[in-house]
Amino acid sequence: MEKQGVLNNKNIVGSSLVHKLAMFVVLFGFWMVLSGRTETKFIVYGLITALVTTWVTYPLLLVPNKDGSKQYFVFGVSIPKFIMYFFWLMWQLVLANIDVLLATTAQELDIDPKVVRFYFRADNPMASVVLANSITLTPGTVTINVTDDGLYEIHALTRGAAAGVLDGSMQKKVADLYGEKFDFAVAEGEE
Amino acid sequence: MIEAFGLNSLRELIAAIFMLAGLVFFIGSAIGMLRLPDFYSRIHASGNSETLGCMLSFIGLMIYEGPTLTAVKMAFAFLIVFMANPIGSHILGKAAYKSGHPVWTLESKGAKKLVGLEKQDHSADEPVGHIRQKEDK
Repeated sequence: MEKQGVLNNKNIVGSSLVHKLAMFVVLFGFWMVLSGRTETKFIVYGLITALVTTWVTYPLLLVPNKDGSKQYFVFGVSIPKFIMYFFWLMWQLVLANIDVLLATTAQELDIDPKVVRFYFRADNPMASVVLANSITLTPGTVTINVTDDGLYEIHALTRGAAAGVLDGSMQKKVADLYGEKFDFAVAEGEE
Repeated sequence: MIEAFGLNSLRELIAAIFMLAGLVFFIGSAIGMLRLPDFYSRIHASGNSETLGCMLSFIGLMIYEGPTLTAVKMAFAFLIVFMANPIGSHILGKAAYKSGHPVWTLESKGAKKLVGLEKQDHSADEPVGHIRQKEDK
C-alpha cells in the first residue's frame, strides 16, 4: 500500500480538516470534563494532548468500503440525526427489555429461540457496525454473525423479538442515519 | 412522608425509584441466567438486561449527585458500557456459532416440557438447564 498524506487523500468522504477539528474539540471537551480544572497550565496540557491524540489517531479512524474506493470517517455522521436515533434506540431498548423480562420470569418460559437471517447491504461499514451493535443492544436479539456480503444471522429469544428484527424498521433507521439506500431483504426460508 | 424511608428530598426519592427500577432488571437478568436453556439464550439474559439495569442505575446516581462534573463522568461511564457491552455479547455468540455449538429451539429434545406445552415430569435431580439438543446436522 503506497503511503499517502491524509490531507491529500481524495477518497475520504467529507473534509478531513473538519473531521480533525471536530475530533480536537470533542477530545478537549472530554479533557475539561475529566480534569475539571481551569488553571492555564492544565488547559495548555489539555490542548496539547488533544492535538497530539487527534494527529495520531485520525488515520486509524478511517475505514475503507468494500472495494476500497472510498474512506469513511468513523464518526462522520450527522450529530442531530444520531442523537435522534440514540433516543429512539433507548425507547426500543426499554420496550424490548420489558418483553424479555416478562418472558423469562413467567411461570412457564415464554420463549421461542431460533436463528433468523436477513440481508442488509450498505457501502459505509459503520452502518453495518451500528446496525449489528443496535441489534445486540436490543434485548431478545443478539447478532451472532455478519458476513462480508451482508448476511446477518441473529439469535432471537422470543417470537416478538424475531418479528421485530425482520420487519426492517431498525434497518431503515440506520440506512437513513448514514444516508445509504435502504437495501434490506429477509433471507429465504424465513417467514 | 418520604422521611420515613430515610430520604431527605424529592430528588433523592426520584433517584431511589430509578435505582430500584434498575435493580428489577438486574434481578430479571439473574433469573434469566438460571432459567434459560442454552448458551445463546443466556447471552440475552447476561448481556442485554444488564444494559438497561445499568442505564437506570446510573440515571439514578446522576439524579442523586445533582448537576456536577461527577454526574457528567457517570454519563461517560454509562455510555462506554452502552458501546462495549454488545460487543462482548456479540463476540461470545460468534465464537460459539463458529465453533458449531447447536442452537436450542422448540424442536429440541425436552423443549416442550420446559416451556409448558407438555406436562412436566422431570425429576428433581435433573436441572432444567441441562437439557441438551439432539445433534442434527
